[in-house]
Amino acid sequence: MAATSKSALTQTNWDLIRDAASDSTTAKSSLERVTRRSWPAIYAFIRASGRPPEQATELTQGFLCDVFLARKLLEKADRNRGRFRTLLLGAVRNYLADIHRRTTAMTRMPRGGVAPLDQLITVGIDPVAHGADSPERAFNARFVAGLIRSAAERLQQELLSEGDEASWEIFRLRVLQYAFDGTTVGYEEIAPRFGLAKGTCAAKLLVAKRRFASILMDEMRATVENPSDLSAEVDELLSLLGSR
Amino acid sequence: MTHHEEPSAQSHPESSRSLGDTLRWAFELDSSPALAGATWLACEIVPSARDPFEAILAESTTLGALEELKGAFKMLRTTGTTSAERSLAARLYAATIGAALVRHATLITTQRGESLHRAFTELQSDPSMPEPIRALASRALDAARSIT
Repeated sequence: MAATSKSALTQTNWDLIRDAASDSTTAKSSLERVTRRSWPAIYAFIRASGRPPEQATELTQGFLCDVFLARKLLEKADRNRGRFRTLLLGAVRNYLADIHRRTTAMTRMPRGGVAPLDQLITVGIDPVAHGADSPERAFNARFVAGLIRSAAERLQQELLSEGDEASWEIFRLRVLQYAFDGTTVGYEEIAPRFGLAKGTCAAKLLVAKRRFASILMDEMRATVENPSDLSAEVDELLSLLGSR
Repeated sequence: MTHHEEPSAQSHPESSRSLGDTLRWAFELDSSPALAGATWLACEIVPSARDPFEAILAESTTLGALEELKGAFKMLRTTGTTSAERSLAARLYAATIGAALVRHATLITTQRGESLHRAFTELQSDPSMPEPIRALASRALDAARSIT
């Protein structure tokens, strides 16, 4: 793989954010990449907060225009750093609260005044009140899904460029399919497709899983400013996803 | 700006757990000891086993499963990430051949004579191997003598 494309593949979220907030010649493409990576998690949060699909799409687009494209979040991110996921989640939550406040101000009688934050929480703006299926859970599931998808794309490129289609297919059927829809395909079905023994399939999968794990951890490290935060970030995500 | 929505199941609790499972093992694999890879392989092929030694030693492990284990450990001998893991895989490879010979009276390798004798002898004398595996190697040596 050429050095330039590898560099682009492994560019971290924070690298992209800094570049997007700068006046560099690549700022626009960096901004598009950050936006594309973040869109599913933002949409998931808004949708799970009770908005119908069409409105959730509009609000997601609005968030991207008002917060991303106006570079408010990017400039703030550069100042505060820390975990990208936490920053993004807070920004979406604040954006929805702000939208709700403005909508309420426009549609309600003024004598009631602007609804205080605690009142907004009681009527459902605060997703924590939703419990297991909260907007945070939806956001985090999409965030992790995005990381897994991105790492899988890199693994696919690496394996296919090495001519190892079997390893990629075994990984896709045994790991990715399970991660995304909870189902998997047995070795008995996979092995004959590639003329391999079941044990060889398992050994190939172990190698692929290790490569994927290494890539995924790279992706995770890219979302935290301090590498020592990685363990805490993984623990927190696992807890939020309900797998611990 | 248009975006394709990812599968809706991703926000479902069951799928969230699947994503979490993937995240957890990826994080744990990133820093796994030598035995972890062999254990994972053994459990993929013999799900009731808790580690590779148990998979090899269990009376219920079929000849077919031993052949699959042999293929997996053979590959791990070269793909293992550390020399310790590759060395362990070589020992496990010999142990599966020994188990097939002792329990099923079948030689599942093209190796013969000196190389087979050396593999079982090294397995038998390796202090890092569990005692039942070393005892298996001893019986395999006897069985190998009768066929060579």
